[in-house]
Amino acid sequence: MPVQGLRAVSTARNGVGAFILQCKRLDFHYCDWAGSSRGMNAFLKNTLPAFARANPQVEINVSPRPRKHPVIKGTYINGREKAVCVRNLEKEQILKKAELLRDASGEQLKRVTKPISSTNESVRGIWSPYHGDSHTL
Amino acid sequence: MLSRTIKRSALEGRWLSAPSSVLPPVFLFPQRARLFNSTSSIVDENTVPEPLKRSGISTSDAKNTVPHTQKDGATSASSSPPLPTPTSHNPSVPTTPIADSVRELLPLLSAQTSHYATVHIHARPYLITAGDTLRLPFLMKGVQPGDVLRLNRATNIGSRDYTLQGAPYIDERLFECRARVVGTESEPLRIKEKTKRRQRRVKTVKSKHRFTILKISDLNVKTVEEIEG
Repeated sequence: MPVQGLRAVSTARNGVGAFILQCKRLDFHYCDWAGSSRGMNAFLKNTLPAFARANPQVEINVSPRPRKHPVIKGTYINGREKAVCVRNLEKEQILKKAELLRDASGEQLKRVTKPISSTNESVRGIWSPYHGDSHTL
Repeated sequence: MLSRTIKRSALEGRWLSAPSSVLPPVFLFPQRARLFNSTSSIVDENTVPEPLKRSGISTSDAKNTVPHTQKDGATSASSSPPLPTPTSHNPSVPTTPIADSVRELLPLLSAQTSHYATVHIHARPYLITAGDTLRLPFLMKGVQPGDVLRLNRATNIGSRDYTLQGAPYIDERLFECRARVVGTESEPLRIKEKTKRRQRRVKTVKSKHRFTILKISDLNVKTVEEIEG
């Protein structure tokens, strides 16, 4: 009998029982002086409080980043990070970007051709010529 | 994320009496996560196709339920948490009686444990089992991560030995299929070069589509007693 590794007791299937949002933190970086941060500063003043209140499961940090373009960084449960530069964007566009980072899974973008991925065993099993009804010619 | 949720709940005075090392009952987690999420809807739900949404909490409902659960948090820890009330009505309850053949054979189908179903979303078929991840080929409008959709169009439901075939769709009272919106994903930027003959100009067309990810959380076949009772 071959040596068998330890079998995993359970696999994480987020959304089947509990659902946990994958984005755990959003960092907003702005610059007080630079013009490319104008939309970002308006966003921080006007839109961010409502956005933060609507998403209590996401930690939100705001910090200055002088002499640089404004950036939103998302940190995800899987340990990855996504950063979006929002220079010269209006505050509505920045809200779109923040929502994009919130909804993302944190995985690298991949081209997927099959719509369904499953870890379950085949329900009907694998066809075998030796089982089932006998077939006579 | 989970530990922060617990910490935040503890700060709200939810489990102040319990020592911090003792975790709250596990069944509270999905409820909390769901409630947190459902408060975040800025979008209106009217844009969701009516048959798709069944049991997701609407923004107005969520606002009603959140203070309620926080108020009686200590007491509800001992009893089971109340299930959120579905917002939309039962899609369309057909009054026709269940056919005799279905009534006879449905127990056989529901007795076998694992099931598959071919559910249709916007008339496209997807063969799913419970726990599958479904990446829709489009971005669904008006949904948020955490929302629950009730899928009520299916052409096939089967187990290892039996298959129930709809004509064209199966009676929606016979099964329950729920999917949770997990998030949106994107694809790598596609760049297509457009050229014309005898022209030097090359036009590049960029596209980057976004997709909604669903997780099939429930798929079960009901028994005749459940349907009529």
